[in-house]
Parts: sequence; structure tokens; C-alpha cells
Amino acid sequence: MRGLSMSSILRRSLVHRRARSLSALIALTVSAAVATALLTLYADLDSKLHREFRSFGANIVVTPAESGKSLPSDAFTQVRSAAGGDAQAAEFGYAVATTDRGTPVVVAGTDFDAVQKLNSWWQVDSWPSTSDANAALLGQRAAQFVADEHNVQLTFAGHTVTLHGAGRLRTGGDEDSRIYLPMSAFTTWTGAQPSVIEVQIPGGASQVEAAIARLHQAVPDLKVDPVRQLVEGESRIVDKTHALMYGAVLLIALTVAVSVLATLSASVLERRRDFALMKALGGTQSSLLTLFLLEALILALGGVAVGYVLGSAAAWGIGQINFHTASWPRIGVLPLVLLLNLVIATLASLLPVRVLRSLEPAALLKGE
Amino acid sequence: MFIRLLMESFRRQRRRKLLAGLAILLGTTAVTAMLALATTIGDHIHNELAAYGANIIVYPAADQLEVKVGGVDIKPVSGGAYLHESDLAKLRGIFWANNITGVSPELPVRIIGKTATDENVDAAATGLWFDHSLSNGGGALKTGASAMHPWWKLTGAWPREQATSSDSAEAVAGMTLASRLNLKAGDIIQTAAHDSIAARTLRITGIVSTGDNTDDQLLLPLNAAQQIAGTPNAVRRVEVSARTKPEDTFARKDPDTLSPAQREIWYCRPYANSIAYQIREAIPGARAEQVRRVEQSEGTVLKRISGLMWLISAAALLAAGFAVSAAMATAILERQAEIGLMRSLGASKTTVALLFYAEAGLLAIFAGGLGYLAGSGLAAWLGARIFASQGPASLGSLLIPVLFPVVITLALIVAIAGSTPAIRSALNTDPSAILRANA
Repeated sequence: MRGLSMSSILRRSLVHRRARSLSALIALTVSAAVATALLTLYADLDSKLHREFRSFGANIVVTPAESGKSLPSDAFTQVRSAAGGDAQAAEFGYAVATTDRGTPVVVAGTDFDAVQKLNSWWQVDSWPSTSDANAALLGQRAAQFVADEHNVQLTFAGHTVTLHGAGRLRTGGDEDSRIYLPMSAFTTWTGAQPSVIEVQIPGGASQVEAAIARLHQAVPDLKVDPVRQLVEGESRIVDKTHALMYGAVLLIALTVAVSVLATLSASVLERRRDFALMKALGGTQSSLLTLFLLEALILALGGVAVGYVLGSAAAWGIGQINFHTASWPRIGVLPLVLLLNLVIATLASLLPVRVLRSLEPAALLKGE
Repeated sequence: MFIRLLMESFRRQRRRKLLAGLAILLGTTAVTAMLALATTIGDHIHNELAAYGANIIVYPAADQLEVKVGGVDIKPVSGGAYLHESDLAKLRGIFWANNITGVSPELPVRIIGKTATDENVDAAATGLWFDHSLSNGGGALKTGASAMHPWWKLTGAWPREQATSSDSAEAVAGMTLASRLNLKAGDIIQTAAHDSIAARTLRITGIVSTGDNTDDQLLLPLNAAQQIAGTPNAVRRVEVSARTKPEDTFARKDPDTLSPAQREIWYCRPYANSIAYQIREAIPGARAEQVRRVEQSEGTVLKRISGLMWLISAAALLAAGFAVSAAMATAILERQAEIGLMRSLGASKTTVALLFYAEAGLLAIFAGGLGYLAGSGLAAWLGARIFASQGPASLGSLLIPVLFPVVITLALIVAIAGSTPAIRSALNTDPSAILRANA
């Protein structure tokens, strides 16, 4: 009997005061949505930021132990398999040749496809097609020391080779003074083998260190060095952005929580008359409290259900707009969001209790 | 009468005002803090990104081709073209001079000589600024290689350019070189006299670890390197670190093909390309290029992080807006009886609405103002905690004046918009019905 009447009171209270229930529901939905969106983004932040740092290129350089030597022929395959599937790697071979104008120039053999993926900052007029075995990229400074950019004559140890310049390369670094050509053409012409492998490991300092340890095991005779400024800089910036985001999440969650709390407890206080009436009709303090609490909890659950969907959608949108990769909804944030909303709802119904308890039903109903 | 009603409402209904005010205060605090962080994040991240080194490189236009592999000069250019060290002060006079945060000129030389233990030294060396003040009449920029390469780890002290005299100078040794020659801080290297250059004593003040081929070099003050090379005032290349705006399609345009008005806009935006262009204009015979590996990637990272901050600010704004308007609506719904009473005593709808809007407005201005102060303080505190700030934060850098009207306007809009539905529904209800329901 008691349970039945409680549930019917609850239902009626929620349905009849529709405007008030709705505004409380909206408040709780907003708090759940904000918490979901921020937590989802926060959980994804590190991997998203590390992805952005891929544009800096290689963060590990593998070279022979003694300078001047070349790498063993299976080094590249071994490095690739030790580095892991999502790592990018490219090998380079260097030699000093002479241009048709008699200027010494560094020529580099490499795999253009791998370089294009590894060094996204290279500004290239047009990448050479893979079918052309004698295609070349001319650094913008090197190009000034070549007579004909489309028909580049280079000499190395008496052997002359003719390359088809596909375009200029602009980087603002040492690459500007070099001429790049496909590895196969490079080795047949100069007889030199690759001497440097550049590897890009996605992730922060710990991932890079782990990869270096794996590489040391796979190719023990080679020198494996991190590119120090990249590894340090990346970790620092990711850590700081992480901390910033943490601060922002706390701040916003706190603001929304307190505002929602204020709204909800105001609407509980507003119902002093209901409270007085029920008390006058014989309701006990605890049963009335249970009523308020249940009401708030039902609204909180509804808020979480709607807010989780809205918040996940917001996080997905922010991920798409800003990082061009989706942040998929995470079920892991749900318990936290639920906890937050339940705490807000409980506090909102319990805080005004002190005020309600001191009320004299008779005085209140009489209108004083 | 109106003013009195307004005053009394604030004096007597403290709890209700407090709740609505608290919501506005917290909302504006969060929004101000987020906006302040979002507007300053560019500078913070730029300072962090400085760890990647220079983003603009300046070298003589007439220079010969560098023959460098893995950072090692295979065929060092003898002679060649130089820039003038004295011209570098002109960097302080270009349009975006204040965006230049670091300048580091370099001059490679060869050091041939003997250590104190009579070991032969034949090492590459680079002349650098370490703690140089660069000034063009106005304020000086303290800059140098050590600040622009924060990943260089030094044990000991950087060499001082004041210590350079006609027969001695200070230097630091790279780690590999130091272990090969058994050098430690306090040791000396006696350079050999050659051509018309006198012999001199290099005093090692520290050992530096750089993680690249500089580990095999000596680093010495630029003025000492110039004297040893016999090329006074000469600089081979200059690394410049500048605070830039990430590149967009407009930035990639060639300024010489733009119309004068467009060119002016291009010139007055802090793109790496326009700063490089201005450097070329300022220093005769120089070529300036953006270092694409640093500049392009920094642009991406900066865009993502500040984009994230702006989107989160927008989310904060939305959430705070909802919370504040819900609080305002509640505050007015509670006062339906008051509205009924005023209406039945003959107040027009306009007067009542005006009274409530005036209350909401006052509340928004007061609580919003407090929230602006609290939010600015919070942002400064968070910024200083997360990004180790340079020097003490002054009041001017703490408060961002532009945000004040923005935040107050937002608070006003939200408070008024939030109260509107509640005021309208209360005004549309028959006063007698309200009064009877409350009787």
C-alpha cells in the first residue's frame, strides 16, 4: 500500500508540475552532457595530440656504429618490423656528386613514397612518379647550381647519370641543398648503400624509449639515437595541454554542478507548501525526504541518459572539427557521469532539508 | 518608486538573489577563465614549441651550396659569403620585431692546437651568441644559442663574450669531443698561430651534450670565432625564432604578385613568410626562409591546441548559459505571487517586466564583473601553474580588458534571455489566479 502510494505521488508530482520537472531535467541533462563531452575528449586527448606531432617527422635515427660505413642490407626490414606497424620509416643513402656546372652537391637516394609519408612538411611542386626510375627532386638551393632542371647531369667517380627533375623541394633545412633520387637508381649509379634510417614512432617519450630498446635488440650493431628536441618537446607540450584540459574540465564541471545544484535546491525550497501539507496530513520526515530524493534521482537518471548521448555527440563533433578524427563514445565515462549527476541530485534534495525541517506546517499553511 | 522597488527587492530577497548571482558568478568565472586561456594559449604554446629550435633561417643569398650529410660539413666552404653581425640589430627594427623572440648567429671555424696534456686538437667549432643583448636603440633582446636550444644540457658555465681578449677566450666542449680529448671544465686548449692570426688560449668552462653532431664540436663566443677565423663581423647563418601565425592559403601567396592593398595585409600579418620577407628587406644580401619542419608542424600543433581551447570555451559558454538561465527562471517562477500582487495593484505589464529585467541586468553586471575578476585570476593562476611563466605576472598581463565587455554582455544576454520565458508566463497568467493559488 505504502509503495503504491509513494510511486503514484512520485508520478503525479513529476507529471503535474511539468514545467518545473522539465527545467530540472534540462539542468541535469546539461551537467551530464558537459561531463560526458569533456571526459570523452579528455580520455582521447593524448593519442589525438600525439597524432598531430607526427607532422614533425622522424624522432629516431638509425646509423651505422662507425661513420662512413653503410647499413647491412637487411637493416631496413629489421628496423621496420622492430619499430611496429604504425611507425613510419624511410632509408637514405648519401653521396657527394658533381653537377654539370662543376659544383659539388649532396645526392640522396631514398624511397619517395616512404619520405612523403614521413616528412609531411616537405613542400614539393610534384612528387616524382614511382614508375620513373630516374626521377629526381631538386632542393631549391641545389636547383640553382644545375643547368637544366629537367635534364640533370650528375657525375660521381667518373660515372655520369641523367635524372629527370620532377620538381623543386623546399624545406628551409639541409634538404634544400640536396638532390633526391630513387634508391635503386642511387645504388646502381654510385654503388653506395643506404647509411641512415629515419624512424617515426607515434607517441611520447616512453613509447620512443621502448622502441629504441626494441631496435637495440633487433639491430645490436647499429647506433640508434632519439632526435632529442622532438622527443622532449612533444612530451612537454602534450603534458601541458593535458594539464590545461584537466583544469578546464574541473572548472567547467564545478561551475555546471554548482549552478545546477543552486537551481534544483531552489525548486525544492519552493515546494515548502507541499511539504507542509504532506506533513500536516501525517507524512513522516523520512518518507517525505525519500520522496524528494527519489524524484531527484529519477530526473538525474533521465538527465544522464539524454546527456550521455548529447555529450558523446558533442565530443565527436569537436574531434571532427578540430582533429579531423572522430572521438568515439566511451562507455567508460558513463559511471563517472552517473556518479556526478547522482551526487548533484542527492545534494540538491538534501541541502534544503535543514530549512524544511524547521518549518512549522501550521504557520506555513496559514501563510506566514 | 521604481528605484525603491528595485532596491527593496535586492535588500529583502537576499537568498534568491544570492542563488541567481552565484550561478552568474560561476558561469562568468568559467567563461572568462576559458576565454583568457584560449587567447593566451598561443603565446604559451609558442614558448613551449621554442624547444624545437628556430623557425626562420637567414643565410647569405650569394652563398655556395652546402655539402652537409647528417649535419657534418663534408667539404667545408672556405671563404664564401657572410652576413654582417652588425646588420642583425636591424632585426629589432622590422615591422614584426616584437614577434622575434630569439636570434642566434653562427660562424663555423676550425680549431687546431694542443691541449695542456699535449694532445693534438683538430676540431670543428662554432661561434655563437650565448647571452647577447641585441638592441637597435630601443629595448634590448636578450638572446643566444643556449636559449634557443633548450635541449642542450650543460655542465659548467656558458662561455662569456666579455672574456674574449686578443690572446684568450672561453669555450665549451661537446661531450664526444671532451671524452676523446679528456677535457673537463677548467682545462685549456692552446690554438696554433696561422697566417696572420695570433695563437690564443681557449679556457673550457663547461661540457655540453646536444644529442647531435654538435657533441663533436667546440662552442665559443662569436667574437672569439671571428678573431680566430680572421673574419671580423662575419656570420655564416642566423637562426631566428619568431612567434608566427599558422600558415594559410593567403600566407603562401607571393607578395610581389598581390595588389598593393592585399600586399599590405599580407605584410602586416605575422606569417613566417612575411617575417622572412621583412628580414630579407632589412638585411642586405640575405636570404630568409622558414624552416618548414618546425614552422609547418608548429602551425598544426598550435592550431589544434588553440582550436581545442576555443571549442571547450564554447562548450563552457553553452553550459554556463544553460545553468544561468535555469537559475534565473527558477528565481522568477518563485516570485509569481509578487508579480500577481503588483499586477492587481495596477502595475502595467511593461513596468513589471522592466523591474524584473532591471533586477536581472543589475545582477548580471555585478556578478559578471566579479566573475570576470575571478576568472582572470584563475586563468593567470592556471597558466602560471601549467606553463612555467617568465618572470612575475603583472596586473596588465593578468587582466585582458577586451574580455570585460564581452563577458558582461554575455552575462546580460544570458540573464535576460533566461528570465524572459518565466516573466512572460507569469505576466500572461491572470493575477487573481496566481494570488488565489498562493492564498
